[in-house]
This record gives sequence, C-alpha cells and structure tokens, in this order.
Amino acid sequence: MHPFDFKSALLAKHAQHIVLIHFPIALFIAGVAFDLIALSTKRRSFADAAYYNLLLAAISTIPVLATGVLAWQFALEGQKLKGILLLHLVLACASTVMIWLIWWAHFRARRTQQALFNYYVAVELLAVALVSLTAHLGGFLSGVNAPG
Amino acid sequence: MKKMTWFLELAATVAVALALIPGGTPLLAVSAGDKPASGATVKIDNFSFGPADVSVPVGTTVTWTNNDDVPHVVASDDKIFKSKALDTDDHFSFTFTKPGTYAYYCAIHPKMTAKIVVH
Repeated sequence: MHPFDFKSALLAKHAQHIVLIHFPIALFIAGVAFDLIALSTKRRSFADAAYYNLLLAAISTIPVLATGVLAWQFALEGQKLKGILLLHLVLACASTVMIWLIWWAHFRARRTQQALFNYYVAVELLAVALVSLTAHLGGFLSGVNAPG
Repeated sequence: MKKMTWFLELAATVAVALALIPGGTPLLAVSAGDKPASGATVKIDNFSFGPADVSVPVGTTVTWTNNDDVPHVVASDDKIFKSKALDTDDHFSFTFTKPGTYAYYCAIHPKMTAKIVVH
C-alpha cells in the first residue's frame, strides 16, 4: 500500500486506532514531563505547557477509544475478548480514566488557585506506567515487531 | 491533605484492581479451540501463514493453528469463513466444498495474507 493512499488507509478499518493512539501517549508523557520540570524550576510557563498537554491528551483519548472499539467491532465483530486483547482493553480504559482525572485535578487546582494534592507526582508516574504498559501491549498486538 | 483524598483513593483503587488482573490469563472464555480436523494444516507462526499457498481437493478440511504469542483471526477476502480470535495453540477448521481460489488474511494484521486453492 502506498503511504499516501488515503482511501486504503481509511478503509483499513482498525488502522486509524494505531495511528491516533500515538497522540495521547506522547501528549500525556510530555505533560507529565513538563509538570515535573515546572515543579523543580517553579516556572509558570512549564506549568502552563503541562496543563495544555494534559488537556490535549485527555481530549485525544476520545477518538482513540472510539476507534479502538470500532477496531474490536470491525476486526473481531465484537466477540468476547480474552487474554492479551482483554488486558489491553482493560488497561486502555484505566489509562483513559487516569489521564482525565489527572487533567481534571490540574484544572481544579488552577481554577481554585490551590496547590495540587500531596503525592500527585506519584499518581502521575503511576499513570505514565499504566499508559506505557497499555502501549506496550498494543504494540505487541499490532505486530509492530513482526518481520517484514 | 483533605483537598483531593478522594482522587488518591480512586487512583489507588484503579491500581489495586489492575494488580489483581493476572497477566495473560484468559478472563473470558471464547470457543476458538476445537481439536484440529484431519486434512490440510496451516500454521500461523511469526506473523505469517505457512504454507502461504495450499492446494487441496474439494471436500478437504483445512485447519489453521496459531503458534504465535499474539492472537490472530483467519478471515477470507470474500467473507466465506472467519475464525474467532485465535490465541496461542488455538485451532480453526473450515471444509471447502466448492472448487476455487480462496484468498484470506488475518483480520487483526491485514499484512498477513495467504490463499487456499481448491481443485
């Protein structure tokens, strides 16, 4: 398939999920990284960058989740999942919830001008680990390491 | 400390729930693993069907066995047959009753293609 063959790419059904998934992963990890830098440097600009990265990460989970469910319907006709597929789905849902909660915590802290809760960095790092694990399983399932 | 303790509790609950999921253990049953039938066999290994081209007489049952660690789905291009998601060592069988060329692929990994020629 030609890399700019948009028709084939759109009709590949589940390929969109594999393309879109990179956005929340990258945005969320970047958001957390900016947040850690903001924490250590006390610079407002990094905190702003963190907030907007987290916001975009949360928003981008919506099409990713939608295309993931569509992939499930298209490729597997919605059959009951088990094994790695089920684990990927469960971790993906948990990751989505964590991303939205972390963004919401930042949103609430900014709106009320209050500091974030204690140990929030630990929660953010836990979420990064969760997202990474989900991504690892997704990559494993997609066959990105397959020959050819 | 009280500001967002509920948030911490929720995060902890999610973490505990995830920790309780056994890795790689099937949590829901799918009837994908019948015993292989007699006839031609195709092995799914290393993200490819082997042999990729199989020629069989009419009435032959072809059995696919997934030897990969990753689930695969055997689906014909013209929607004549389609397996469930086959986990490691699961089988799928289909009996070909009409002559013709049946191209098929893996629905999860569309790059995986092969064909069965029935004569």
